[in-house]
Parts: sequence; C-alpha cells; structure tokens
Amino acid sequence: MLDSLFSALKAKGTDGLAGIWTDEKKLIQAAHRLREAGFVKFDAITPFPMHEIDEAIGIPRSYIPWVTFIFGFVGLAFGLWFTWWTSAYNWPLNVGGKPMWSLPAFIPVIFECVILFAALSSVGALFVSAGLPKVDPPVIDPDLTSHKFALFVPENDRGYDVAKIEEIFKEFGADEVKKAEF
Amino acid sequence: MAADVKNLPAPGPLKVSSTTKTVYSVMMFLGFLGFALALVKDTERAWHGYLTAFFYFVSLALGGLFFAAVQHMTKAGWSVNIRRLSESFTAFLPYALIGALALLIGAPHLYSWLDPEVVASDYLVAHKVPYLNQGFFWVRTALFFIGWLVFARIIVGRSLEQDKSGDEKLTTSLIPWSIAFVMFFAISYSFFSVDALKSLEPHWFSTIFGVYTFGGLFQSSVAFMILLIVYLQKKGLVTGFITADHLHDLGKFLFAFTVFWAYIAFSQYMLIWYANIPEETLFFVPRSEGPWVWVSISLILFKFVVPFFALLPRWAKRHPTHLSAVSILILIMQYVDLHWLVFPNFDSSRVVFGVYEILIFVGFLGLFLMSMTGFLSRHAIVPVKDPRQSESLAHHVVY
Repeated sequence: MLDSLFSALKAKGTDGLAGIWTDEKKLIQAAHRLREAGFVKFDAITPFPMHEIDEAIGIPRSYIPWVTFIFGFVGLAFGLWFTWWTSAYNWPLNVGGKPMWSLPAFIPVIFECVILFAALSSVGALFVSAGLPKVDPPVIDPDLTSHKFALFVPENDRGYDVAKIEEIFKEFGADEVKKAEF
Repeated sequence: MAADVKNLPAPGPLKVSSTTKTVYSVMMFLGFLGFALALVKDTERAWHGYLTAFFYFVSLALGGLFFAAVQHMTKAGWSVNIRRLSESFTAFLPYALIGALALLIGAPHLYSWLDPEVVASDYLVAHKVPYLNQGFFWVRTALFFIGWLVFARIIVGRSLEQDKSGDEKLTTSLIPWSIAFVMFFAISYSFFSVDALKSLEPHWFSTIFGVYTFGGLFQSSVAFMILLIVYLQKKGLVTGFITADHLHDLGKFLFAFTVFWAYIAFSQYMLIWYANIPEETLFFVPRSEGPWVWVSISLILFKFVVPFFALLPRWAKRHPTHLSAVSILILIMQYVDLHWLVFPNFDSSRVVFGVYEILIFVGFLGLFLMSMTGFLSRHAIVPVKDPRQSESLAHHVVY
C-alpha cells in the first residue's frame, strides 16, 4: 500500500535542456538572455538563495499572500462565530457578571484564530504552489546542492528549440549542457 | 547589485534657505504667541497644550536616538545610509532640556499631587507621595534629560567624528554605549511617561503605560523619518544612497509598530476591563462615554485599522506618496493619542481643542524642524565613512 502511495506521489518530471555553471554570475546573464529570447517557463536551480534570480528569470509575485489575507478573514469570522457559539449560545457562561458575549475577552481568541487560519493556509498554499510533496524527484546533477548552478528550459516552453538554447548556454560559458528531466 | 560609490553623485548637502528659516521662525513665534495668550486667558489649558506638544517632540527626538542606537548594537548594515537622519532628530534634545525646565514651572497647574491639600485629604495620593513629590520629580526630570543629552553627545558625536577620521574603532566602541543607552532609555522613558502623563491622574494604576508610550514613540519616529527621506529624495540629495529598498524596510517598521502599538493598547484595555477595579477603570470610564468615546474610536480606526490595511501590500511600502500619506496620518494620530491621554483628566465632559493647541504645536514643530535641518546642513546627511556602508549601498529587499 505504501508503494502505491509512493508511486502516486512520484514526481513527474518534464524533459528539457539544462545548462550547468560553476559561476553564478554567468548564469544570471544567461537567464536574462533567455528571457529576451522569449522563454517563460524556465527555472533556475541553485544551492543557495540568490536575490538577483527572481528578476533574472522573471518570477511573478506569488499568490500566497492573498491566500494568507483571505484566510485571515475566514479565521476572523470563525473566531467571532465560535466564541459566540461556545460562550453565549450553546453553553451560556456567566463570568464575573459580564455580558455572555464580551468582545474584549474574546479578542485574544479571535486574534489567535486569525493567525492559525492565516498561517496554516499559507503553508498549505506553499505546498500546492511548490508541488509538494515530491517523492524521488528527478535530479539534473547531484552537485546542484553544493557548488553548481543550473538553468533548465522545459520542452513545453514557448518556442523550445534545443539548438537555440544550447547556443545561449554556450554563449554565456556554461560548463555543461545536457538533456535532462526536471 | 552592488553600487559603486564612485559613480554616485555625492549626497547632500542640505541647504536651508533663508526663506525656510524665516518660516520656521514665524512658526516658533506663533507658537510662543499662542502659548503666551493662552497663559493669560486660560492658564491651565495653556499648560495642557504645552505638555502634549512637548511630550510629542521629546518622543520624536528620543525615537531618533533610539533608532540609531539599535542600529549600532545590532551591527546593522542596511540602515547606515539613513542613520544620520534619525540622528538629526536629537538636535532637538538641548531645547527639550529648556522645555523640561519650563514644564517644572508649569507643573503645579498640571499635577494635583503637587498640591498639599490634595495630598492631605486623599489617601491614595498620600500613599504615592514617596514617588510623587516635588523634590524627587525635579531630580528625575533633571536626571533623564541630562542623561539623554549625554548619550546623544556620545552616540551621535562619535558617528560625526567618523565622518572626518573614518576610524573603524568608533563603530565598535559604539556598541557598548548603545546597549547602555537602550537600557537607560527603557527605564527613563517609562518613568518620564509616568511622571509627565500618567500622574495627571494620580489615582490610576497601569504597569504597561511606559510600553504604550514607547509604541507611539517608535511609530511616530519612523513615520517622521519616512517623510524626511521622501523629501530628500525629491530634492535629489540622496540619489543612490537611500533607495526604495530603504523606504521599504522603514515601511515594514512602520507597519510592525502600528501593530505593536495596537497590541499594547489593547493589552492595557483588556486587563483593566477584565479586572474591573475602580482605581484602574477610572482611566477608561471618561474616555468611553461622552464626546471622548469618539476620540477613542478614532484612535482605533486611524492609528491602527487604516494604517494596517494601507501598509499591508508590498507596493504600499515602496510608493513614496502613499507611504508619506500614511506617515502623515500616523503623525496626526500620535498627537490625538497624546491629547487623549492629557485632556480628559481635567475635563471629560467636552473635547478641548482649538487654536491654542494648534499654535503651541506649530511652535514646537518650528523649533524641531529648525534644529533638525540645522543639524543636517552642518553635517553630511549620509555617514560616508562608515565601515558598513557598502552593505547599505547594496541593500536590496526581495519581499
């Protein structure tokens, strides 16, 4: 049963062309050139976060903040309803002669509900947007987690042309160009 | 992304035209006139307005020093290019010392615990006499203001010294001084808030009061820094040195301390509401009925809710005009907040606000701007020889 679960979660890679560098500055130049050439779906794989890369490969703003924002409001509504339902409706509780549904006392609870919903939904949205969990994902080069940097253009990208991409990779001094799955 | 300093136009200098100086002088004169008139017409009200405006600008000046100290003690690199602007706020501190002397003169009009009759007839006030008495009050005020001046001399002075010598040892030597200042500031500003504002209602108990005023201090100081930066950017004096990325991070600070202020304000309110003890609720009762309830609601809305949503998106923190508008709103609400702390103690049946309060505030604003721009015109507006400046030049905010 575990096997069938694993095979269901097994990452499905796309075939494409990868260029590998040891100098990340060249990779950024190549990424700019790829964008100019009209490619949009390509990705960079680097061993550490690089500030310039977002701009170089043209990553659009993530939609995750909107998920956080909307679920924050859902949490707010839930907190308002839940404190009313538990303390004033389903089991009315008189505390110190204060009104059953006393907002000041419940704001901490409502606040925590906002945080809980916003935080969990953000993590959930992160998993969805990053395609996690990925079991046994294809590896372009094992050194990409230590000292090498790669650009990968999937074959379903607009105007995919092996020769053209290889030329760009070589132009910016790629150490290696290879067909890969990612 | 690292910018090359050689290719950048030199920052500054800020030239204050004689017209601007005249405007500041006129503001100061108007303030003085308003205060003098109020003293003649309604002495009590004059001192209420004086205390509100005085506390407002002392907080701004201290906020500038606190910001600079925090950057030193955390060895922050990103903020090097904006640090001088926060340091410029401290140019007001010598005037604040004179203002504090004036406050000691006006104290009998403000603090009922200075009245021997009140002390004799009021058990709770008599109980607090070991702290709330004239001698100790004078000692504390002198200690705090002189202490702040000395720390400002050291922390800002060494930063200015580095402009000339470029000595890197000055940067390391500022770390212990900044830590010492922050500890002194935490205690002194809390007690100063208690003395100046909280003791207006000597029966009241609130242990979080110093944190509450600190929240407003940091929020308004950052707002003022943002306005100053946007002004300098418009003038083209800091091109390449202070960018949208610095503004973005200050916008984050503004957002964070908007939430912080609301968090502390609510913490104070909720605990008092929950315990429902007369010595504590007596602060909130006059502020939750009559005309003052509207001021209380405006604080929640315009010092928290509106800035919260207005600062939430990423673009909002990078857009100079938008950020300036929010900063102005926060600076106005900081005044409303202090006004709300001072005035209902004397008359909770009506909201006293008029030409006297405005004139006194304008007078202090003129003095503050005069001292701040004077400082910036005498010194480099960017600490150009700071060893960490390259970090600030390359500062880049992704999210």
